[in-house]
Amino acid sequence: MATTPEELASHKKAYTAIGIALLVLTCVTVAFGFWHPFGPVMTWRDITLGLLIAIVKSSMVALIFMHLNHERGLIYKILLFTFCFFLGLMLLIFFAHADPIREAFDAIRNSLG
Amino acid sequence: MEIPYEVTARRDTGLYNAKIGVWLFLASEVMLFGGLFSAYVFLRVGTQPGIDNPWPMGLNVQILMAGFVNTLVLILSSVFVVFAWVALKERKWNVFRNWMIGVLACSALFMVIKAYEYNSKLTQHHDIKLLDNSILGGKILEGTDKIRFDADSVVVDFSGSAPGFMNQVESDENIEFKIETGENAGKTVKLSELRSWYHKEHVRMMREVADMRMKQRKGEWVDGTDKNPETKATLSAKPFRINANPRKIAGRDEETLNFRDRTVIKGKLVDDTIKMEVHSLNLQMVPLQDQENVMAWKLIHAATGGDEIKENVLAVRDEKVTYVRSHFPDGVIPVSVLQGPFINFRKIHDVPGGEAHGGDHHGEEPKAAHPGDHGSEESAEHGHGSHGDIVIEVPREQTSFVTNHGPRAGTYYAIYFTMTGLHGLHVVGGALVLAYFLLFGKRIFLKNPEHLANRVEVGGLFWHFVDLVWIFLFPIMYLM
Amino acid sequence: MSAASSTHQGADASGHAHDEHDHHDPPFWKKYIFSTDHKVIGLQYGFTALVFMAFGFFLMMVMRWSIAYPDRAVPFLADLPWFQSWLDADGKVTGELYNMFGAMHGTIMIFLGIVPLAFGAFGNYVTPLQIGAPDMAFPRLNMASFWSYFIGGVLMFTSFFLPSGSAKVGWTNYSPLATTTDLQFSDIFWTGQTQWLLAMVFLISSSLLGAVNFITTIINLRAKGMTWMRMPFFVWAMLVTGFLLLLAFPPLEVAAIMQLMDRMAGTSFFVPTGLHVGGMPFDAAGGGSPLLYQHLFWFLGHPEVYVLILPAFAIVAEILPCNTRRPLWGYKTMVYAAMVLGFLSFIVWAHHMYLTGMGTSVSTFFQTTTVLISVPSVILITSLLISLWGGSIRFNSAMLFATAFIPMFGIGGLTGLPLAFNNIVLHLHDTYYVIGHFHYVVAPGTIFALFAGIYHWFPKQTGRMMSERLGQLHFWPSLIFMNGIFMPMFFQGMAGFHRRAFDGGTAYEKVANQLFVSGDSFFGQMFNFVFHRAGGQDVNMIDLNLIMSSSAWLLALAQIPFVINLFISVTRGKKVTSDNPWNATTLEWATPTPPPHGNFLTEPVAYRGPYEYSVPGAEEDFTPQFVPGEGDTVPVPGEDAPAKTETHA
Repeated sequence: MATTPEELASHKKAYTAIGIALLVLTCVTVAFGFWHPFGPVMTWRDITLGLLIAIVKSSMVALIFMHLNHERGLIYKILLFTFCFFLGLMLLIFFAHADPIREAFDAIRNSLG
Repeated sequence: MEIPYEVTARRDTGLYNAKIGVWLFLASEVMLFGGLFSAYVFLRVGTQPGIDNPWPMGLNVQILMAGFVNTLVLILSSVFVVFAWVALKERKWNVFRNWMIGVLACSALFMVIKAYEYNSKLTQHHDIKLLDNSILGGKILEGTDKIRFDADSVVVDFSGSAPGFMNQVESDENIEFKIETGENAGKTVKLSELRSWYHKEHVRMMREVADMRMKQRKGEWVDGTDKNPETKATLSAKPFRINANPRKIAGRDEETLNFRDRTVIKGKLVDDTIKMEVHSLNLQMVPLQDQENVMAWKLIHAATGGDEIKENVLAVRDEKVTYVRSHFPDGVIPVSVLQGPFINFRKIHDVPGGEAHGGDHHGEEPKAAHPGDHGSEESAEHGHGSHGDIVIEVPREQTSFVTNHGPRAGTYYAIYFTMTGLHGLHVVGGALVLAYFLLFGKRIFLKNPEHLANRVEVGGLFWHFVDLVWIFLFPIMYLM
Repeated sequence: MSAASSTHQGADASGHAHDEHDHHDPPFWKKYIFSTDHKVIGLQYGFTALVFMAFGFFLMMVMRWSIAYPDRAVPFLADLPWFQSWLDADGKVTGELYNMFGAMHGTIMIFLGIVPLAFGAFGNYVTPLQIGAPDMAFPRLNMASFWSYFIGGVLMFTSFFLPSGSAKVGWTNYSPLATTTDLQFSDIFWTGQTQWLLAMVFLISSSLLGAVNFITTIINLRAKGMTWMRMPFFVWAMLVTGFLLLLAFPPLEVAAIMQLMDRMAGTSFFVPTGLHVGGMPFDAAGGGSPLLYQHLFWFLGHPEVYVLILPAFAIVAEILPCNTRRPLWGYKTMVYAAMVLGFLSFIVWAHHMYLTGMGTSVSTFFQTTTVLISVPSVILITSLLISLWGGSIRFNSAMLFATAFIPMFGIGGLTGLPLAFNNIVLHLHDTYYVIGHFHYVVAPGTIFALFAGIYHWFPKQTGRMMSERLGQLHFWPSLIFMNGIFMPMFFQGMAGFHRRAFDGGTAYEKVANQLFVSGDSFFGQMFNFVFHRAGGQDVNMIDLNLIMSSSAWLLALAQIPFVINLFISVTRGKKVTSDNPWNATTLEWATPTPPPHGNFLTEPVAYRGPYEYSVPGAEEDFTPQFVPGEGDTVPVPGEDAPAKTETHA
């Protein structure tokens, strides 16, 4: 953890820079939301782009503001562990949704007319 | 007794207690918001076009400026928090205090803007879903989502729950009910006393039933000779108006209203129309071939006396369909595009009351009907100018679901209100903690500045996390 | 530091009746009610949880009456005022009452009984002692955690007395049934279903606070020399359990909040399009997904199973080595197995949902992981079994319960294996087989381990031993009747008995006639004699209900010696002669008896691993962690973690 005056001064510069970058990126997100760069209709590409910018922004907050760029190993382990389960929660539910027994459902739907 | 490592870090882990604690807490918060985001994805991809309510695009229904400003405000507050922490590390109390006041001001501003947004959604925007699944958007001027009914008699069932109609009587508290049956026949009860009367009668009925059961069990009770306990009572009153919540109704026809708690109300269904200022029309749940004949056109025709709007809209739709078909030759056309258009008559969604605020960022001149502009949103010129909204009257029988843009309007609004609401609670909680450091931190600062710096760091970590969640919330709720 | 100082300041400030300003004797309410001492909080947890467990058990006994004698009035209860409004005219259990009791039995036993007793009580009491910490890392958070649990429990309990009765759609609270139940009430907030959700939010918050506290304590407050691999297995299990609670509970909290919104704010998270209730279209926008609720619920639900079982393993792993006078077999293997178990438990949840229309790829994934998770479970149970080998076993009450845990959990675990396969689940889903399976894991499994823990640590808390004779009187009938309840469930389940039939399946004539045991056989004659039936009557599936229900009521009787023992021994028990009456090796036995606020008189140091029993060449058959021996180097403070890489998986 930074305690010397020099380090704190350099930290302040980094914080200002990151703050400005975050504000700019917010404007970029809104601009992209208006002018879908990939065509007239909003598609998965625009959504991916929007989320990518959000990920970049949140990484900046996490790394610089939350000091994750120089944190102790233990914290990384806890977060890695959490991230695995976060992914499991998001992805497995999504996969389960994306893989229903279609034939059976279709058969029922057809039989109902 | 002293808990070790409250201020200083333990050497092998390199961390003090509170820091481990807050990171663990944040881990659980990640899972909390993870569950919500996962619900968002599940609900959004699970929306079946043409069957479920369409998932609106954030741009069409949100006040973009409010969300945008809120993002900036929250980012600024995050920057302020780190500077406040640096100030403590430099042992400068006054600098810390100034930054912290900035943080609290930001959080207050955030909540004010949030309240403005919520208010606009809850009171200024409504949807009426008609029986043929076309959805009219706008602002209800007269009439509510409640079923209106003129009643003159009530049958209360004591074995149900406290009669649900009481909360829904649209009248003063002095309205009198005359008891028609039972040993109290002839007495009158005021509406305000009805609940305690019901409770008393309910307890009496329960006791009688219990006695009856006891006799039955002992074999003393002979059917026909003993009196069955009265489980119902009839009340009459001079006609009073009820605004019944559709959720509470188990069935209704022209003359009776059956509540789910077994209360039956007799009277007549009021000729109930809802007067609405129409801002938009959503045909995404109507198949292409039926879009020319939806009930909405008839209502609009009745209000304007012409079919100009309909023709304009359908022309725009046809143009869009051709455009999209030509741009997606492979057949990968989003189903929502083909299903039907969402037509915004006003292009203004962020102005409560419409007229009051003129210049807004959206640009209010009706744009040329360019296909696919703003996703599936389109504008249609009509003869009334941008602010001359059409006011239509919708008969209640033709509606299937009436709502404001509150949480019940659809899964999008539900997840929007839940996520931003929970996020707002986090903002309030975080602000309270930081305010505590600001107001009562001086004592800790004088005793051990490092202790306060640690606590602010921990509070700041939480604050940054709240900011981080918002960074994801903003695009998925307001833009996509 | 701040906790201690503020406690003292508070005592001074509020010293209206205390003229002497005694710093070491805070007022009663501060010492025993709003205490920040982990031991007092542990006992608070323990007593509250035991009361709730007794209550949950009572609910089950009423249910079992309805199952065994669906045509007879409930004895004793029919005249109580509350029951009069829920029993039918003949005093028989109504379906509604059965549903209420069924839902609340599950909820109370899991969320208000076993988890608080295992994690809250034992974890709180023992963990800081075993790692040599003066208290938990955040004592006031600990108190908040208990009171949050207490509020949740009170809300659950009082919901019985609302006009709507308590929640009644099963402990899983599946939507949309849960969303639309009791909507007729004018105030939906005061219905059992809504109160259940509210109570769950409190209980979950309590668990989250507790988990944060436990993990921080274990990571940062270990004593000198207490390296990761010198921690007793109990502490390891608490660490893994803490992580399970921390990461699995939030999605359920989300689900509870969403369901609360569905009920109170009219959202349609779990309300599908076109839902009709009572013949009327349900007034909601629709578009929600009932399946989403199940996913979020079981994302908690499965790790929760391991939250229930890991503390049980932990307690047994402490008691076995102590009473066999032998080291725990495969300590490291068990530690790693517990971690793998914790990790895998997060990706198996959908095996509860095979019948929701899941496709082959996803169900293959979940089948695979479910079968995989049996591997660490078997490693744990085998290690415990092998630990018995060659020991000179001391069969006191604690040891009896701990030993019985092994086969009981074994039955529960092995009967779970078939349920991992979706083709078998087609047949067994929602039958009594499933009930038998998870009750074997939790009831004779975890609860036996919890009893063992109470017998084992009682002398540390009170300075007196519990009566051995009463302990034996408690153990043997409990063992017999537990099996009497749950073993027949497997037969019934395989015959196709549905789990939610409140009349005990009398409606299922065809299945009922299976398993004919002739009335002339020995078993048939005995059965007819015991249950006063006409001679020569054949015994079939439904008649097993009589055995199960009678066992349940007898099991209740078998708990009487325990209750007597618990209360009598506090004042009349044999006094312990030393601080370490069992001659155990772990750090909690180094404290005075009972441990004071702050626990240790001198700063404890761990010189060796936790299970050094019968060390060759040692004078005694146990070498405690806290006693320095020849050649033991005193570790330098802070540099006591050579095994730093082994935090957790």
